[in-house]
Amino acid sequence: MKYQKPTINRVDFALASKYGSPLKSQKIKSSIDGVSVNELTKEYGSPLFVFSQRAIEEKYNELYEAFSSRYPDVQFWWSYKTNYLDAICQVFHNLGSKAEVVSEFEYQKARRLGIEGKDIIFNGPYKQKEFLKQAALEGAKIHIDHLYEINDLEDVADEIGQEIKVAIRCNMDTGIYPQWSRFGFNIDNGEAYEAIKRIYEGKKLILTGLHSHIGTFMLNANAYGQETKKLIELKNRVEEEFGYNIEYIDIGGGFASKSRLKGVYQAPEVIVPSADEYAEAITNAIFEHNKGNLPKLFLETGRALIDEAGYLLSSVFASKRMPDGKKSYIIDAGVNLLYTSFWYNFDIMLDKRYDGINEPSQINGPLCMNIDIIAENIMLPPLDRESVLTIWPAGAYSVTQAMQFIRYKPSIVLIDKESKAHLIKDADDLEYIVEKEHMPEVLK
Amino acid sequence: MLINEIVIDDNNMGFIPSLGISYQLNETAKEIINLIKEGKSKDEIVQTIAKESGVDWREVHIDVEDFFQKIKIYGLI
Repeated sequence: MKYQKPTINRVDFALASKYGSPLKSQKIKSSIDGVSVNELTKEYGSPLFVFSQRAIEEKYNELYEAFSSRYPDVQFWWSYKTNYLDAICQVFHNLGSKAEVVSEFEYQKARRLGIEGKDIIFNGPYKQKEFLKQAALEGAKIHIDHLYEINDLEDVADEIGQEIKVAIRCNMDTGIYPQWSRFGFNIDNGEAYEAIKRIYEGKKLILTGLHSHIGTFMLNANAYGQETKKLIELKNRVEEEFGYNIEYIDIGGGFASKSRLKGVYQAPEVIVPSADEYAEAITNAIFEHNKGNLPKLFLETGRALIDEAGYLLSSVFASKRMPDGKKSYIIDAGVNLLYTSFWYNFDIMLDKRYDGINEPSQINGPLCMNIDIIAENIMLPPLDRESVLTIWPAGAYSVTQAMQFIRYKPSIVLIDKESKAHLIKDADDLEYIVEKEHMPEVLK
Repeated sequence: MLINEIVIDDNNMGFIPSLGISYQLNETAKEIINLIKEGKSKDEIVQTIAKESGVDWREVHIDVEDFFQKIKIYGLI
């Protein structure tokens, strides 16, 4: 007798559709870029983050081509906060991306990778004066978030005895909800104009750019058209009134990936705009509204470039039957590694085809926390202990937001274009975790 | 026990006439139900399946325990 884990499912004819029965379909991913997921977890441990250099480059080239074929001067700035692993940043820098950072830590990380100050955009609401000074001395593109930062930068200009080139960050109504209004200065109510006037009157800073980041996971390309139109109109006005030469506009990031936002029921393939749609909306708005010299076009795309190139491999550790009849699988990766699971539903794929029919299941992580749920409702066949699940897309924010909580953070691997796996980060261990701790003598 | 009423065909589709409800099973589930109908206890079923399949009885025990929980939730036992 060939053993199969026993399964019984009540037949619910409402489940049937023209797409077939959910009781038999299985999403399978046995390899990434030709490398077996089972071999990967055997060699590097489980859980394991895996990145595909091939997928990064394909996505980058697709997006860059969409913009550069429509506009003469386009520059991508890799959003460090989306994923600041050295190797990942290096892949983007090798492709031609410069660096966009939002803290002194990210700034230092970019410098450590050999990125010159002039090739770094320094964003964010919290930039201490000492780091503003370093950025100014090194020629970084500093994007001012609030009036205090203007004061701080003017102090720095006095200190270093030179004028500092700056940009300001703007926010505005682009017809989307929620409107991101906490960063920078509002264009609609005149705040951005007043901030520029203040910069002009201070005579220590020179405005060379306008920046905005209208939100994240933006499913409406037209919002970028609106954003660009308002930035260009502001550019036209301040060039005329103050004689500034606005060298660039930076339309930020926020393009959506193929992740499935919770509460959105249509497939990402249906609702996520294409690279061409984003590019068309943005470049059309520039050509339509710009007066004077065409500005350089900067993009800080993060999520859309890396999300689909990242996978989290996780192994089944155990299973149990919940009182409501649902099967619960306990896997070795939880919300400690997938903080983004609070907002996104992931594709969860099996390492092989399993015997048996699917049944309503949930996937729980290893944390001793009730909220540690990776998939609340998923149809799965009977899985074995050590079955390897591929959770996708997991390239954006998962690594940077992963918590060292209860368990160690896992190893990370990059698969190069020749399908060779490289360890790019070791798993944490006890020594690493306690390295910065101190035990007071009195407690010993 | 409703489980005694279940009729299972060659395609492993189960049907309980008095409820009008159908179930989809696999081979092992069918075997377990047949053993239940024969009056075997849970422990005897574990031993039988383990012996027939050559699988470690401790693994079989987990699966049979799980299966019993599920058919209990379905109201079949």
